[in-house]
Amino acid sequence: MIILEDVHYAYDGVYPALRGVSLQIDDGESVAIMGTNGAGKTTLIKHLNGLLRPDRGRVFIDGVDTSTMSVAELSRIVGLVWQNPDHQLFLESVEKEVIFGLKNLGFSDEEARERCDVTLRDLGIEHLAQRSPFTLSGGERKRVTLACVLATEPRVLALDEPTIGQDALQKARLGAMLQAMNASGRTVIVVTHDVEFAVENFNRTIAMADGRIVADGPTRSVLSNDRVIEQCSLSPPQMTLTARALNRLFPDVPTRLAFVEEVESQIVRLLGGGE
Amino acid sequence: MSFLEVFQYTRQDSVIHRLDPRSKFVFSGTCAAISLMFLQIVPLTILLFALIPLLAVAKSLGRWMRSMRGLLGLILFIMVFNTLFATVPHPLSYSIALTLRLIALMTSFSLFFLTVHPDDLSQALIQLHVKFEFAFAMSMAMRYVPTLAQEAYAIMDAQKARGVELDKGNLLRRIKNVIPIIVPLIVVSIRRALSVAESMESRGFGASENRTYLERLQFRRGDWAVVLVSLLLLASAVYIRYWLGLPAWMMWELPL
Repeated sequence: MIILEDVHYAYDGVYPALRGVSLQIDDGESVAIMGTNGAGKTTLIKHLNGLLRPDRGRVFIDGVDTSTMSVAELSRIVGLVWQNPDHQLFLESVEKEVIFGLKNLGFSDEEARERCDVTLRDLGIEHLAQRSPFTLSGGERKRVTLACVLATEPRVLALDEPTIGQDALQKARLGAMLQAMNASGRTVIVVTHDVEFAVENFNRTIAMADGRIVADGPTRSVLSNDRVIEQCSLSPPQMTLTARALNRLFPDVPTRLAFVEEVESQIVRLLGGGE
Repeated sequence: MSFLEVFQYTRQDSVIHRLDPRSKFVFSGTCAAISLMFLQIVPLTILLFALIPLLAVAKSLGRWMRSMRGLLGLILFIMVFNTLFATVPHPLSYSIALTLRLIALMTSFSLFFLTVHPDDLSQALIQLHVKFEFAFAMSMAMRYVPTLAQEAYAIMDAQKARGVELDKGNLLRRIKNVIPIIVPLIVVSIRRALSVAESMESRGFGASENRTYLERLQFRRGDWAVVLVSLLLLASAVYIRYWLGLPAWMMWELPL
């Protein structure tokens, strides 16, 4: 369980990034963190594994104050996947890259190798195992960094903008994979600007603006709230927009729909069909 | 590395900031030359006490003080090392003079770098007939130092999250730990260099032989005055040092 208590943080002590953030994320939740650039999203997730320590307030992971733990210790619990894969890749093959993190965290040679194989297969990049990370495309590099973290099987997985540079198919695959990880009991937290990705894959959304949480609740209700959408410079999910358009013609269609199936059943109903 | 701050441009408006970079360069060069000519406590102190008010005029005294505090470790090392090992009659006076010389030298150049915007510096070079490409490369290099620093921090964060413990282990382990930082830093820099080059070319870099400039530097009366004063200072310093010989009071030393 993750608890943040009135966390304040300012870069260099003068540029405020978080201005009093309190939240609780239970084990096994799936959470999207959304908001404008500079809202403090990345700063927030850096507090989860101790890379940043709050100036004021406290962060607890499983009831333990993070100020008493090292980044390496916290990384065993919270796996962070970064926005820019180039900031961490440095070895001569994808395989070595994945094994590097595992061995740092104390896994034996055999176990590291096995976990590496399994993870690469799960991500569909086993054919890249012997390639140099530097010769891969941006999207592939991103999946390699994801593999590096997934292989350590952290109980909490936090991803910073994982959908950038991924095509629609990869995005759908990533979504499915994160859902599967979540179904197996892990907490999945993702920072994203992608409204559709959030709607499809995450039950809860935390909306941030200007270093504060402006809304926190079920993704569907947060993203259909016009005030939140405006504060966070987002646009509502396409299905919500569709529902609103339908509602203008047929006032009995609810406006807070977010899923294709919901809109579909409304259209079927309007057409006089359905089971 | 906070002592390097003293070589970083400060966005201020002062008489010194408004001077032409070329005249400031002559002045800084003169002061540097003078600090290299003398190795006695008194003349170096005089020089230093002449430079400090100028820093105050340039509204950069605070930054200078911070840098000097950052330099304290090195200063102590110079003092202790020379006092113990120098083979001169008065090693303590000698090491004080060496320290003063280091500070005076840094202060001379800092007066230049604190008050010259990198763009003005490259413009000055161009007007001194340095090829635009070289001047541009230099100002680009200066421009990317903070970006590189930021990137290094991001990389350190990323590797820490993978269990690299940068501040643990023996010397060998620590040296090994630099590799996961330095390799991505180089790769990221090369990638950026390539993309910057592409974007520069797509904006017509090097398209015409005779480039024009929006702003040209101009030598004003104040600049001539600075150059004149600098040359007079240099001439009198050379005269005192090499023809006249230092008067006794300037040779004053501690009895140690």
